[in-house]
Amino acid sequence: MPNRKISPKISEDYQISLTAPQVLTLDNGIPVYEISMGTQDVLKVELVFFAGRPYEHKKLVGRATTAMLKEGTQHTSAADLAEKVDFYGGTISTPVNLDSINVVLYCLTKHFGSLLPLFAEMIYQPAFLESELRSYVKNNQQRVIVDLTKNDVVAYRKITEFIYGKDHPYGYNSFPETYGDLERSDLEQHHKDYFTSDNCKIFLSGRSNRETLPLLNQYFGQEKSKKKTPPTYFAPKVELPQRVNLSLPNSLQTAIRVGRGLFDKKHPDFNGFYMLNMILGGFFGSRLMTNIREEKGYTYNIFSMVDTMSRDGYFYIGTEVGNQVVAPTIKEIYAEIEELQRTKVSAEELKMTRNYVLGNTLTMLDGAFNTMDLVKTLILEDIPLQQFEALIHTVKHIDAATIRNLAQKYLNREDLWEVIVGP
Amino acid sequence: MIEFSRFELANGLKVLVHEDRSTPMVAMDVLYNVGSRDELPSKTGFAHLFEHLMFSGSTNIDDFDDIIQNAGGESNAFTNSDITNFYDIVPAENMETVFWLESDRMLSLNFDEKALAVQRKVVVEEFKETCLNQPYGDVWHHLAELAYTVHPYRWPTIGKVPKHVEDATMDDVKDFFYKYYRPNNAILVVAGNTTLAQVEALSQKWFGDIPPGKIPKRQIPTEPKQLNFNQRINEAQVPVDALFLAFHAPGRADEDYYAADILSDILCNGPSSRLYRKLYKEQKLFTSIDAYVTGNIDPGLLIIEGKPATGVTIETAEAAIWQELEAIKAEGISEAELQKHKNKIESTLCFSEANVLNKAINLAFFELLGDAQLINEEVNFYQRLQPSDVDKMARKVLTKNNCSELRYQATMMTR
Repeated sequence: MPNRKISPKISEDYQISLTAPQVLTLDNGIPVYEISMGTQDVLKVELVFFAGRPYEHKKLVGRATTAMLKEGTQHTSAADLAEKVDFYGGTISTPVNLDSINVVLYCLTKHFGSLLPLFAEMIYQPAFLESELRSYVKNNQQRVIVDLTKNDVVAYRKITEFIYGKDHPYGYNSFPETYGDLERSDLEQHHKDYFTSDNCKIFLSGRSNRETLPLLNQYFGQEKSKKKTPPTYFAPKVELPQRVNLSLPNSLQTAIRVGRGLFDKKHPDFNGFYMLNMILGGFFGSRLMTNIREEKGYTYNIFSMVDTMSRDGYFYIGTEVGNQVVAPTIKEIYAEIEELQRTKVSAEELKMTRNYVLGNTLTMLDGAFNTMDLVKTLILEDIPLQQFEALIHTVKHIDAATIRNLAQKYLNREDLWEVIVGP
Repeated sequence: MIEFSRFELANGLKVLVHEDRSTPMVAMDVLYNVGSRDELPSKTGFAHLFEHLMFSGSTNIDDFDDIIQNAGGESNAFTNSDITNFYDIVPAENMETVFWLESDRMLSLNFDEKALAVQRKVVVEEFKETCLNQPYGDVWHHLAELAYTVHPYRWPTIGKVPKHVEDATMDDVKDFFYKYYRPNNAILVVAGNTTLAQVEALSQKWFGDIPPGKIPKRQIPTEPKQLNFNQRINEAQVPVDALFLAFHAPGRADEDYYAADILSDILCNGPSSRLYRKLYKEQKLFTSIDAYVTGNIDPGLLIIEGKPATGVTIETAEAAIWQELEAIKAEGISEAELQKHKNKIESTLCFSEANVLNKAINLAFFELLGDAQLINEEVNFYQRLQPSDVDKMARKVLTKNNCSELRYQATMMTR
């Protein structure tokens, strides 16, 4: 019989290292970052153009331009394009990012050669048909109308709008009329200005073979084009933080968001704040989750998070709670924040958080796709890969006093917006 | 191809091991053969509430999460109509810790009254967050009740009403645990950077002395064949109308499952599929449309759902779906169309095997279906399908008398 009273010995000494990508350059200068490993013969190729919100001449034009790439080219109708991509078991996705436009092809390595020409045609010679744009607008208008009945969505939209301002690239929200204002010529303009070879990076992960790179060079490495000079002016940030109550009639729960603008990953306090956020609300064992869900049962989920873009970042706490426990929840949120500002975190709690973060990082680096996601984020935010080692160093060595000081510096109530959306 | 070994402990616990040296991690999956289909109609939502309690302390361990987090790992679980599934992922060095954790909560829980009180509240908030406070969030409550008359699939896993969860007692908890959470009602899978020898030794050490139980024989009524079209019109506080059609279809345990699954793909999976192309892109009658099978072990449902475009009546939208269904039944599908969907499935399966945790969860589920080796046969089950198999399935399943229809009629004024 094992002694069940005693925990098996825990090792804290796992090797965490970021596999550096191979960097190659296509004939026209487009850099290709490649990570080839794994057990499956699958590939993911992701083209990234710096053509997101900071580059738009009109709201939503970046997102619409990308979404419309799938709706037909100058030579191939949308139906034929869909038919061919599906036939080879490929999937094309256009995930939404604030700074960049990303176009991704997932496929079996053996079908890469059949799919790549279509993928290139789709990206460089889109048709942008008026009729397709009108259905895109209509579908998204209806989606927004549905989204605006969800109080978690409303709360998220509002807090980012308050943090950055309603006309700022990182702060603006979409409404049915924002979609309605999109014109075909806007998409053509945006495509011409920013879908250029000097504005592109390619990320290749999975298991490639000897044909993969020559194919990329053949279809993406020949044409040369120049981007427009991007705008540098951003609408200034607005007012002092305040508490905002919004009503969504008949809500059975209340959505709460508490947060503030912060900084990008290059800021000297980023790594430390990353750990502070973990302790506060970054994982299941965090203080918010332990107190507000596991002790009080006020909610199914509560979290805090830090998100960064190339030129900025923000932090917020989010939860949906029963309508009758809104005030107690807010009280407990501030109690947890103030406790972090007042008392140094115990060695035991710091150790658990550190171990969790290190193990979780190992999972985040498991396999070619995961590794590339991290590498890509660093490259796109213009951060040297060594910064990752610095982050791991901070996770391993940060002390309790530093964490308390960061809480005192960044989590003061007067700096935090509060958005409350309930009945 | 997922290679694995298998052995069984004297107490009846089935153990599967998949070695994968390409990952630094080990994933553990513990599947208990109990789901919401095993609940009483008066105590629904219990299997899922119980899943929450599995994290609230066991005989020798007060805090499951503290320990796994200290070991650099993470744990979670899900419950559905058929199973309750727990999974952990840790750096390979700390594999033994999850053996300790999972075996201790299989041995016995600490049955803490306060934990039960808190988790009842947490689950009621989950009920609100996922069902009651979301537009169309109660769709499964309506649809399940409409499509099933006697089978316990007639209530959703979260429970019929929050009250059932609120009324759960400690006696219910204890009873459920000793009835179902026994080694001879579970499947353990260990996948990742480990060896069969290590897993054999640790399984014997930590799980070997847990006594087996007497598992009640499952007595679930078979759902009788539906004879007439069902319809429910639900006037609801939603911003736009929505339409759901549910057809009885073969379950996972049935060899015809694969034909039904690919039929749902042909109807509406991917941008070249039929309903997507014709009704969403060409005729623009819908602003979203989808089709899928529920994938239950007992006979399940093939669902078609969509939201009509502004200005299109729900009747028009629905008639257009039926027209497509009649067309597929009358004309059948071509070799090329079937091949396209087989290719898509091959791709999806290949991608899903790139993740060690996925592999562990899937191995456990296929073992429950009868034999984990089925996981490697799956692609062949699809490849062997002929157009005539799918045509037959379409004619059998896609009929009015086999259909339950749910309409949401929007009463909310927008803008």
